[in-house]
Amino acid sequence: MRKLLTLTFAVTMSLSLAACNRGSAAPEVDLTRPSYVTADLPDDPSARVPGRIVVDFVDGTTKAEIDAMETDWGVDLEFNSQEEGPIDSITTGAYEGDLDALLAKIRSNPQVEAAEPLMNVKASFVPNDPMYAQQWNLKAINIEQAWEVTRGKGVIVAVLDTGIAWENHDDFAVVPDLEDQRFVEGWDFVNDDAHANDDHGHGTHVAGTIAQATNNGEGVAGVAFDATLMPVKVLDHFGSGNTADIADAIRWAADHGAKVINMSLGGGGRSDVMEKAVMYARNKGVVVVCAAGNGGRGVVEYPAAYPGSFAVAAVGPTGTKAPYSSWGKELDIAAPGGDKSQGEAAGIIQNTIDPQDVSQAVYASYQGTSMATPHVAGVAALLFAAGAKNPDQVEKAIILGAKAAPGTKGWTDQFGHGLLNAKGALDALKKLRAADVNELLPDEVQAAQQQPVVTDTVSVYSYSATNWKVFGWGAGLLAFVLLTLGRKERPGYLNVLATPGFLVPMLLTTVGVFFVQSFASPNAITTAITLPIPDWLNRIIFGRGSLANPLVYSAALPIVLSLFAIKFKGMRAMVGGLAIGFAAILGYSAWANAPALAWMPFTFLAIPWLAGNALVCLFLARAMLKKETA
Amino acid sequence: MKLSGTVGFRDLETGVWVLEADDGKTYLLAGGDRKIKKSGARIEAEGDVDADSATIAMVGPRFVVKQYRFT
Repeated sequence: MRKLLTLTFAVTMSLSLAACNRGSAAPEVDLTRPSYVTADLPDDPSARVPGRIVVDFVDGTTKAEIDAMETDWGVDLEFNSQEEGPIDSITTGAYEGDLDALLAKIRSNPQVEAAEPLMNVKASFVPNDPMYAQQWNLKAINIEQAWEVTRGKGVIVAVLDTGIAWENHDDFAVVPDLEDQRFVEGWDFVNDDAHANDDHGHGTHVAGTIAQATNNGEGVAGVAFDATLMPVKVLDHFGSGNTADIADAIRWAADHGAKVINMSLGGGGRSDVMEKAVMYARNKGVVVVCAAGNGGRGVVEYPAAYPGSFAVAAVGPTGTKAPYSSWGKELDIAAPGGDKSQGEAAGIIQNTIDPQDVSQAVYASYQGTSMATPHVAGVAALLFAAGAKNPDQVEKAIILGAKAAPGTKGWTDQFGHGLLNAKGALDALKKLRAADVNELLPDEVQAAQQQPVVTDTVSVYSYSATNWKVFGWGAGLLAFVLLTLGRKERPGYLNVLATPGFLVPMLLTTVGVFFVQSFASPNAITTAITLPIPDWLNRIIFGRGSLANPLVYSAALPIVLSLFAIKFKGMRAMVGGLAIGFAAILGYSAWANAPALAWMPFTFLAIPWLAGNALVCLFLARAMLKKETA
Repeated sequence: MKLSGTVGFRDLETGVWVLEADDGKTYLLAGGDRKIKKSGARIEAEGDVDADSATIAMVGPRFVVKQYRFT
């Protein structure tokens, strides 16, 4: 940011910006361009000061050192501010010729921290909606600066709620502050038709927070006002609905192009059907944002409490927890939800229908975790529009970009990772993407990596708790090993499988203690031991949900044990079984297009690593099974 | 099941009516008739807890009142 402050300010007045219509929004940022990584502003060519660049040297660089370098570059650099002198080492200067080649040359010098075209900084975007000044909640999430980067264009946000007042149909009418907004046709799961209009008032309010028409001279603003809304009605005219409809709707939205699902709803017990639907959506690349609940108690409601959901608590204007907001270990973030105990103005204002007449529009001030949730959904849309590739990146950016809640540090069960910060999240995304070497790979390679191999959260790889496919691989490899042994060396096909010393390690390595599931209810322990051995090790050493560790997913364990087996011949069958099992699991993982391994700099190295180690295991197994022919 | 407790209005979301029951739990009121909506009134009600519904209120399980009387 220091860089920004020291740029010459040719401040374009906010009013003139506000006068622009929505159509001429600032260009979406192209994060795929590596040069963007060094700039704090979107590289908008029209904002460049012609013929001038800015170069930030390593702090402490002296004028004499700079003079020596600049002759080589053919530019004349001066310290930007006398007060700063050599302490900050930010310089500006005139140049001639090819800008990109010059910047590349300058950036390659180790004394240079950053070099870019000098740009005029515009004042942040302030929309002309007459009631915008009352929207303390939008300023609280630092939205104006975020709007300078993106407004969410092209991202579909599904609002699973009581519907949205989005079309003139029957006695329904679009509310004025959603007119001309972008919608895709949704579905009404309550009445089973395509007219997911709002007969309650809740859903339209929630949708307004996400994408109210903004800078249109009417009403209020929304977080990601260029995003596309998908109305999905799952709650009836009293604001209640059943988990089966909601689960259906989650899958439907994910299948129909939604990148973000907003669920300002909760209650009912844990539902397997809904939990699986949430995971389905997330594996399809959808961020699922849910309200923590309004019970003011230490229970996060479902669906917010499901592992695939991003759970949102509510705060008031001062950033303190709203009294009604529920809390708990599943919380991810806190966002403005209003606190009307501090007065009506401390609620969240959006345009919605009059609950007593669906054709009439009102501006209503509501409070609830329902109101907090769409702030996060809106920011998720901004992040996707700014180039986030998957839900992981979106959620990480939101978490890393969050502000600490007053008097807290790090994660708390009241605020999750802190207070939502739209600009902070966009900055964090930029850093995340710059740090991710995979981003340098061609798009089609990245797309291939995005294929969700993991369909079950139980294991880091793609098998469900009991995966007979891996065992099948083991059996196939065993047959291969036996067939390649000469008749005299071969221990006999059935003899091998009938030897418990061989069969048990092979089973444990491929399918774990699979039979436990048939009589024990699933819990952390039973699911862990029904995993293959490499997954046990990974989970015990590195914890649940961690990336597969290449040391665990390697021939290391069979190699070490085989060393002992040189001396203790009785161990050979056991080591053989283990090695066959490892060969099967590594081979299967490689074949199933394994996801990233921890510590591996390039994901594409994972497959050769797994395949190579599988071969080593196979070789070991062959050596162990070979009968002594003395 | 039978529940007794105090009816209350909470200015949450679009407005929420609850039963603060004597069992210590808060239920989202449903069913009954409109006269049940009397903030501060004590009632004794017969009804069913609906554990399968999600709502905009998120204050607790839905209690669908079949019969009630003020006490």
